[in-house]
Amino acid sequence: MLKYLFLVPLLPLLGAAVNGLLGRRLRFGETTVKLVACGATGLSCLIALGAIWDYAAHHSPGAYVDQGFAYTWISGGGEYAVRWAYQMDPLAAVMTFVVTFVGFLIHVFATGYMQGEAGYYRFFAYLNLFMFMMLVLVLGSNFPMMFVGWEGVGLCSYLLIGYYFERDEAGDASKKAFITNRVGDMGFMLGMFGVFALFGTLDFAPLKEIFERGGAAAYVEAFGQWGVMSWIAFGLFVGAVGKSAQIPLFVWLPDAMAGPTPVSALIHAATMVTAGVYMVTRVNYIFQAAPSVMFVVAVAGAATAIFAATIAFTQNDIKKVLAYSTVSQLGFMFLACGVGAFTAGIFHVFTHAFFKAQLFLGSGSVIHGMHHEQDMRRMGGLKKYLPITHWTMCAAWLAICGIVPFAGFFSKDEILWKTYSVSAFPNYAGKVLFVVGLLTAACTAFYMTRLMALTFWTPERFGEGGHADAAHDAHGFRGHRGEEARAQAAHDHEGAEHGHGGALRPHESPPSMTVPLVVLGVLSVIGGWVGIPHALGGHNYFEEWLRPVIVEMGGAHGEAGAHATGETAVELGLMALSVLVAVAAILLARLIYLRRPEIAEKAARAFGGLPYRLSLHKYYVDEFYNRVFPVGATLGLSRVLMRVDARGVDGLPNGSAFLAQQLSRASDWFDRYVVDMLVNLQGWVVRGGSVVLRSVQTGLVQNYALLMILGLLSFFIVLLFAGR
Amino acid sequence: MILHGAEAWFFWALALLALVGGLFTVLSRSAVHSAIWLMTTLISTAGLFLVMRAEFVMGVQILVYVGGVMVLFLFVIMLVNVSEERLDRARLFSRQWLLAVVFAGLLAVIFSYVIRLADPYSSLQPARAGAAAEAAPAYNPQGATPVSRNAEEVGWALYTRAALPFEIASVLLLVAIIGSVLLARTPRQERLAEREEDGA
Amino acid sequence: MTLLALGCLLQQEAGRLLDFSPTTTKFLILSSILFIIGVGGVLARRNIIVIFMSIELILNAVNINFIAFARHWQAVGRLGEHTGELFAIFVITVAAAEAAVGLGIVVSLYRNRETVAVDEIDLLKW
Repeated sequence: MLKYLFLVPLLPLLGAAVNGLLGRRLRFGETTVKLVACGATGLSCLIALGAIWDYAAHHSPGAYVDQGFAYTWISGGGEYAVRWAYQMDPLAAVMTFVVTFVGFLIHVFATGYMQGEAGYYRFFAYLNLFMFMMLVLVLGSNFPMMFVGWEGVGLCSYLLIGYYFERDEAGDASKKAFITNRVGDMGFMLGMFGVFALFGTLDFAPLKEIFERGGAAAYVEAFGQWGVMSWIAFGLFVGAVGKSAQIPLFVWLPDAMAGPTPVSALIHAATMVTAGVYMVTRVNYIFQAAPSVMFVVAVAGAATAIFAATIAFTQNDIKKVLAYSTVSQLGFMFLACGVGAFTAGIFHVFTHAFFKAQLFLGSGSVIHGMHHEQDMRRMGGLKKYLPITHWTMCAAWLAICGIVPFAGFFSKDEILWKTYSVSAFPNYAGKVLFVVGLLTAACTAFYMTRLMALTFWTPERFGEGGHADAAHDAHGFRGHRGEEARAQAAHDHEGAEHGHGGALRPHESPPSMTVPLVVLGVLSVIGGWVGIPHALGGHNYFEEWLRPVIVEMGGAHGEAGAHATGETAVELGLMALSVLVAVAAILLARLIYLRRPEIAEKAARAFGGLPYRLSLHKYYVDEFYNRVFPVGATLGLSRVLMRVDARGVDGLPNGSAFLAQQLSRASDWFDRYVVDMLVNLQGWVVRGGSVVLRSVQTGLVQNYALLMILGLLSFFIVLLFAGR
Repeated sequence: MILHGAEAWFFWALALLALVGGLFTVLSRSAVHSAIWLMTTLISTAGLFLVMRAEFVMGVQILVYVGGVMVLFLFVIMLVNVSEERLDRARLFSRQWLLAVVFAGLLAVIFSYVIRLADPYSSLQPARAGAAAEAAPAYNPQGATPVSRNAEEVGWALYTRAALPFEIASVLLLVAIIGSVLLARTPRQERLAEREEDGA
Repeated sequence: MTLLALGCLLQQEAGRLLDFSPTTTKFLILSSILFIIGVGGVLARRNIIVIFMSIELILNAVNINFIAFARHWQAVGRLGEHTGELFAIFVITVAAAEAAVGLGIVVSLYRNRETVAVDEIDLLKW
């Protein structure tokens, strides 16, 4: 089966081609589109599973590079050729599983969610294209392939966020996403160039070997040093910052919620945004050789986590809360990578994919059931209307809060433990980061509970007010308002399946949507069980599985942590602490939002004002960026350039015109006073001469006679004396 | 040729008369006086011709020149006669008289030079002084025949050697006659002639 | 200056000039003097009739020259050649014709311009 690995990315590509190129021309019905898209993805998933099984049975733990299908993409003149070949190794296996399986589920969900939309075929074409790009990213055997996938998913993100292209905010958001990504990609490319310059190859397997055998020993740095390896690692990390929405390039992710919910689930929760974590783990040896950058990664991750979590507190759009939650969780993942716990980071990617996708799809179900209402302030009491959605979301909620034995607990806790016990850099830093992470976990629990409460458990509020948006805060709800306006039109399309009377009556979603929810909910529960740490008596299969991917560099980094008894105790203690903190946060949220709303009022008055506003307005980061970059930099630059153009460049033709003018004046002067003078001089000479000469013609015959005599005399003289 | 005796006396007298006549011709205030003096000069010239034994030419001179041309001159003077008081006030010489004198002087110089060149006895030809004596022809200075045969000889020469010029001269005279008649017509005469032309 | 030259010449030739027996040269001198007087008259007088008369004077002087040479040739032995006289005849003929035509012009001129002063007739002035 492994030799059919190339089919895994190819099938979605074919699906995209069929749907995209023929969908409109042959006027595919929704059924056809559905079948093509889901069929492609499903088939790809099956083949991927088969391939993984094959690999696990026969080839692990070494990386398997598919030579059969490989073809030379760039022949670098013999020195270095880039080949388009797929690689299967433990890390790729994990990622492929997540991408194809969760992707398939989301495809199925989308068939129901997007029903009745115009451009149905386009959506699925893009979605399949995304699958292809993502799979190229994770299955690529070298940096260029990964970069192709990297850019490709960025492109698909742009296409899909801007799916509702008639809406301004969708277009703006998609552009923002792409541009922010590109800023990061610059760093990625520089890092790539550095790697090639240093090691002469961009293939992962050879690179890993170089590091394992100590071939890069000359470049390995100590903590506190910042040399060429740090620059390379930093460049690559900048790419990850853009793709995975860390500070300061996270601003595109919340705006990306303007796209359809399945898109948010797939791309901005489960797969694309995790590409950064994947990349860091893939070349973990580069990062381990630059501990200073690892520190930066960890700090950035932690900072992002807590920053985003505080914003999520006050958001009223259900999707925005989930968006910031994603940013926060991604911060966790980078924190893990930063402290050297690469496998923990990937583990969190794994579990996060399940519960975040579940949460997004669930919110999609809610939105669908609420006829495209996204503001949580107008929800409430949906527990009895959307039971399946509710219960599956509960599972995911508990997972994300890190409650044992749900999936999120295991991964999150492992991260926290590894942070606490980091040995790569001074331990007090690790402890500070641990505290930050713990606080973030608390915030996470709090706002997720808030979300659940406001959506499902609080009394119904959707009877009040219609679809009017006047009271809504403009910042958070642009996407929402637009989607509402579309909803007005979409209502006509919905037809019989969602027929409703005048009043809003939320309803559960069709099976096409609920089945994926259930599956993901189950995974949210059991997904973490593959990584039960030793401390709790489990055999951490996940870590074992991924271990070959990590290069042990001097053993000083977090992976090979000794499991002394004392340490185990600390680990358990920390676990308990985190659970307690989470539970406390949940209870606090429950108190505020369910039992005694008046506390909320008091708290609002106490904390309201600056902290609330800061949080609600996302710390005005977007405004700052807008001011600096488009307005400041671009406009300022364009103004400067305009001046250069007007004075300098235009000055050139103007100056030359002026010069030509002066030249022509000089030439005219010359012509008039010199040339004409010469000509006139001739005339004057002739005239003067004639004035002199004509005096001979007196009209008096006697004068002429005189002249005749003169002539006669001359004649005589000549005759007489000429001969002498 | 050397003239001797009476011929010499006649020469001197006639030459002097001619010179005086010429001078006064040019210097007289009245045109009639000039005409009379010119006649004097012409007649003296005729006499000189006779001295040089050119009787026919002398006859022609007197008949044609004095008898015809001068009479014509006098008639024209009468026609264009200027009244006395105008005559007195008028200038005699034009403004270029000085230049005229200068040029005339120059001419004189040149002529004298040429004559001295040609003169066998002049100082310019010392080598040939002796030859002059030899060149003295053997002829009879006093041997003029009683009846001159000059007219006959000139006539012969005229009609044989100068026949063509003779004919041309006659044509010339014809042209002159016609031309002068036409030139001197009065406007009235011209109008009459034209009317005659148109009528015819 | 010309007068000076003239004076010198005269002094040189004084001897021979006053030789009583005139030779051909004397005739030539006479002819030249008359010629010069005539030229002076043509160039200096204002009255057109007088100018014409000066022209006749010139022609006459030339005739003297021709006849003198005719006699000279006869004297030096070239008998039978009366070229000089023939020339003189023709000169007289032409002089007569010219006088006729010229005076016709004068008459016409007088009729038009009411003047016989030559320097009052300058219509062809530039």
